[in-house]
Amino acid sequence: MADAQKKKSWWKICLLLIVVLAVVGGAIGWYKFFREEPQPDWVTATPDMRFKYGSIGAEHDAGIPYWIFFVLPRMFPEKLPGPGGYASLGVAWEQGQELPIGFTKKVIGFPRVANNCASCHVASYRKSASDNPVFVPTGPNHTLNLQAFFRFVVDCAKDPRFNADEIMSEIALVYKMPLLDKLIYRYLLIPIAKKRLLEREKQFQWVYHKEFPLWGRGRDDAMNLTKYFLLNWPMDDSIGPTDMPSVWNLKKYKPEKGMLMNLAGDSHDARSVIIDSALGLLSAAPHNREEFLEQIDWLVKYLGEKQAPKYPFPINQAQAEAGKAVFDSNCARCHASERTGTRVPAEEIGTDRERLKTWSKQAAIESNKVVRGFGIERRGLVEIEPSGYIAAFLDGIWLRAPYLHNGSVPTLRDMLKPVADRPKIFYRGYDVYDPVDVGFVTQGAEAERVGTKYDVSQRASANQGHEYGTNLSAKEKDTLIEYLKTL
Amino acid sequence: MDEKASMSPAQRILKLIGLLTVAGLVVALLAGAWLLGRFGADTPVVYKDDVDHFKYGSLGSEHEFGVPYWIWRALPELFADKLPGKGLESLGFVFEKGKVLPAGMSQRRYLGFDLVWLNCAICHTGTVRESSQSEPKVYAAMPANTFDFRAFTRFLFAAGEDRRFTPRDILRQINVIRRREGLRDLALIDRLVFRFYAIYYMRERLLTLRDRLNFIKEEPEWGPGRVDTFNPLKAYFNFPPEKLSKQERVGTTDFPSIWNQGQRETLKMNLHWDGNNVSLEERNRSAAMGTGITPPTGDRPSLKRVADWLRDLAAPPYPFKIDKDLAAQGAPIYKKYCAECHGADGKDFRGEYAGKVVPIDEIGTDRHRLDSYTYDVAVNQNMIFAGYGDERFSHFRKTFGYANSPLDGLWLRAPYLHNGSVPTLRDLLEPSAKRPKIFYRGYDVYDQKKIGFVGDVAEEKGKKFFLFDTDETKEPGNSNKGHEGKRFGTELSAAEKDALVEYLKTF
Repeated sequence: MADAQKKKSWWKICLLLIVVLAVVGGAIGWYKFFREEPQPDWVTATPDMRFKYGSIGAEHDAGIPYWIFFVLPRMFPEKLPGPGGYASLGVAWEQGQELPIGFTKKVIGFPRVANNCASCHVASYRKSASDNPVFVPTGPNHTLNLQAFFRFVVDCAKDPRFNADEIMSEIALVYKMPLLDKLIYRYLLIPIAKKRLLEREKQFQWVYHKEFPLWGRGRDDAMNLTKYFLLNWPMDDSIGPTDMPSVWNLKKYKPEKGMLMNLAGDSHDARSVIIDSALGLLSAAPHNREEFLEQIDWLVKYLGEKQAPKYPFPINQAQAEAGKAVFDSNCARCHASERTGTRVPAEEIGTDRERLKTWSKQAAIESNKVVRGFGIERRGLVEIEPSGYIAAFLDGIWLRAPYLHNGSVPTLRDMLKPVADRPKIFYRGYDVYDPVDVGFVTQGAEAERVGTKYDVSQRASANQGHEYGTNLSAKEKDTLIEYLKTL
Repeated sequence: MDEKASMSPAQRILKLIGLLTVAGLVVALLAGAWLLGRFGADTPVVYKDDVDHFKYGSLGSEHEFGVPYWIWRALPELFADKLPGKGLESLGFVFEKGKVLPAGMSQRRYLGFDLVWLNCAICHTGTVRESSQSEPKVYAAMPANTFDFRAFTRFLFAAGEDRRFTPRDILRQINVIRRREGLRDLALIDRLVFRFYAIYYMRERLLTLRDRLNFIKEEPEWGPGRVDTFNPLKAYFNFPPEKLSKQERVGTTDFPSIWNQGQRETLKMNLHWDGNNVSLEERNRSAAMGTGITPPTGDRPSLKRVADWLRDLAAPPYPFKIDKDLAAQGAPIYKKYCAECHGADGKDFRGEYAGKVVPIDEIGTDRHRLDSYTYDVAVNQNMIFAGYGDERFSHFRKTFGYANSPLDGLWLRAPYLHNGSVPTLRDLLEPSAKRPKIFYRGYDVYDQKKIGFVGDVAEEKGKKFFLFDTDETKEPGNSNKGHEGKRFGTELSAAEKDALVEYLKTF
C-alpha cells in the first residue's frame, strides 16, 4: 500500500518537473524567438525618422538575423559590385547611423534586419564633389543598385562558405555572443537563413537572366517583382526596369478624377500602391493585419502631405518667370491640367514600351485576389491590359533625374533635345548635382567609377519618345529649365 | 546479516564500476581544475605608475594578436637576417634600460601563455638626444619618431614565410636564450603546445595578415614615424583593395603627439589629421583598434586609464636653451599670423578656427591622406562596436580638408605637416620651393637651431636612416607643398621667422 502511494507521488513529482521544464523552455523559446521589442525612441522621434528607419513589420518573414547581415559583406566582398561593403550597393547611408536608410532593425526574439519603403524612396544629392550628401526622404533612390543587392544575398547563401562554422568565427571577431545565442545562431538561424534564401532562388531567377541587361543603379523591375514574388508565376521573357519614383505629395493623385498611379497607371490609388509595395517588402501576409493597416494609414498620411524639396541652388527669378509662359504653352497641356495623372496612350507618347509588357490584366486580377486573401480591402490594381504611361506631375522634378519612366535621359536639358541628340551612353547613380543641365552628373571619371553604365541601345532602355519642346529656341529652353527648377 | 555477504557477484561488479566512476570523475575534475588554472586565466601584467601603464600596460590586444613571449624573444635572433640592422632596435623600437620588451609592447597571460603585443605607446613614444654622444631621453605620448611600423610588419611576415618558422627551429632558439639567461628549458606542456599548435597557428595567422595587408606594398615606403591610418581599416572591412579608386590608396601620415587631450575634447575639436571625429572617446577606441584590440577583446578599464591620463598630460617643456628676449619678439608675430587657427598659445588652445577643418584648397597640403578617408569608410565605421550599446561608433564624418591642430609640445612633433614632409619648424616657415627636397627620418638627435630632428645624417654606427623624398611624382603622399604664403608666415623676414621659432619653443 505504502509502496503504491510512494510510486504515485513519485510520478506526480516527475509530472510537475516536466510541466515546469516545459513552461521554462517555452518561456525561453518565446523570449528568444518571438518576443517583440519596440524599436528605440529615436526611430519614431520625427515622421521623417520613422519613414527612414521605422519597421513596417517586414522583419517577421523577410528579416535577416542581424549578425548574419553584419558579417556578409566582410565574408563575401567579391560578390559586391565594389569596395565599401553595403555602401557599394548605393544604399543611402547617413553618417552616424548604424544601418543605411530603409534598413530597419528590430528585435523579434533576436535582432533582425529588414527593409522599409525608404530603401527605394530616399534621394541623395551633393552640391559639389567636396560636399557630403543631403538625403531627401520620399525622393527616388537613384543611387541604389537593387538588383546587385538581390544577387548579393542569394549569392552569399549559395556559397559553401555560408555555413555555421565560418559565419560564427567571423561574428566572434566583432561581437562576443552569449552562449545560448551562439547555439541558436549555429544550429537554427544560420541553417534556416540559408535554406530560406535558397528557396527564393526560383523567384529570383529573372534577376540572373543572362540576356537581360542589368537594371543598374536607381532602377527596379517592379511589376516583375510582383509577378514572381506575390503571384509566384514562372519566369517569362519580359523585362521592364524603371526609375525609382518619388513618393512625396501623394495627395495630388485624385482617383475620383480618374487619375491612376504607378508609371503605367497600374493601380487605383495611393493606399493600394502603398499596401502592395509594403507587401512586397514583407514577402508574406502581414504577421498582424491590424498593425500593418495602421502602418499603412500612417504612410498614406505622411506620403500624402510630404512636399517635394526646394531646389537647393539659386534660381534666376526673371528667367523662371519667362519660362512659365513657355511651360504653359508647351507642357501644361499634359503636366498641369486635367490630363495630369491620367494615362497617355503609348503610341502617343512614344517612349520605350517594354515596361508595359511586364504586366497584364490577368496579373492584376490574380494579385487583387491574393491581397484580398490576406483579408486586406483596397481599391487595388487596375484590371485592364497596360496601354500607356501616366502623364507625370512635375513637383520636385529637379531631384527626379534621370528622366522618362526608364530613366533613359540624364538631364532636363537632354529631355528638350530630339532623341538623336540625347546621350546614348551615360553613367547613373553618381550623386553630385549638375545645376546647369539640371540632373545628376553622368559623365567623367568619378561618375564612371561610382555609377553604372547606361546604354540606351539595350532592351527596355530606349530613350525615344516624349519629343516635346525639342524645337524651342535655346533661350526658351533656358527659361523653361529655370522655371522647372521652381516646381 | 552482513551486507557484503549478501552481495551477488554482479552487484559487486556494479559497485566496483560505481567506485571507479566516482574516482574517475574526481580525477577528471581535478585535471579540469588544473587545466582551467593553467589555461583559463586572463591576467595582464599591471603597472602602478601611469606612465608605465601607458608604455607597457595591456589594452587587450594580446587576445586576438598575442605572440607568446618566448616566441617573440626568439624571432629577432632566429631571423636576424630579416632585420634591417642589429636587433629590434634596427626597426626603431624604443628599449628602456632594464626592460626586455620595448615601449609599446604589453604582456598578458591568456590561454595559458604569456602573450605580448602592442599598445598605444608603440606609435606614441619617442626619443630625443641632445647630441650623437648623449643618452636618448624617452618621451611618452610624443610621436614615435624612430619606429618603422611597416618595416616591423615586413619583418614579421618575412619570418612567417621563412622555412625556419618551424617548431623545431623556434623551440631550439627559445632554449638557447633561456639557457643564456640561466633559465631551465621550457616546461613540457609549453613545449607540447608550441610544437603541435602555437607555432603553426601563428604562422598561419601571420600569412593571413600578410595577405590582407598586401595592398600596402603598392604604397610608397612609410619610413619611421609614419603610418597609413585608414587604408588598413579598409582591409579590416575586407574591401577588395584592387577595386579601391586610385586616389584613395595612399594615406600616409605622421604619428601625432597625444598629450593634452582633455582641452581638445572640451573645445570639441575635430580630431585626426582630417578632423573626421569630434568624439575623443571614439577616436581613442578607433586608434586602439590599430594596436589589435577588437570590440569583444578590448580591455575597457585599461583603455580608460590611458585615456584619463592623456586628458591632463602636459606636453614636456623644451629642455634646451631658449632666448627669452627673442621669444618675446616672436609672441606678437604668432598672435598675428598663427593664433586664429592654432590657438592662443601652447597651453590655451582657443582660437576662432582652432580645431576646425580648413578646406583643402585653402591649406594646399598634400591631399592623399584626405582622399584616403572616404564617405564609404565613414559609414562602415558606424557598425564597429555594434552590439555594445553606446560604444558603437557614430561620430565619424567625411571632411574635405585638414584640421587646425593646437601646437602644444610642438618641438617634439617634427617633422611637420600631416605627412611629416618638412623636417623642421624653420623649414616650414619657408615657401615649399625652399624647403628641403630630401632629408632623413628616424634619427633622434635634436636640431636646436631649426627646431626638429637633424635631417642630414644618413647613417650612425651602422644604423641607416630613412631617406624621405618629397617628390610627389615619385612618392605620392609625400609632397611638402602647402601651408605657405603670406598668411602662413612664409613671407616674414628671416629675423621675424627666427623670433617666431624661438617663441614656439615655449609651447
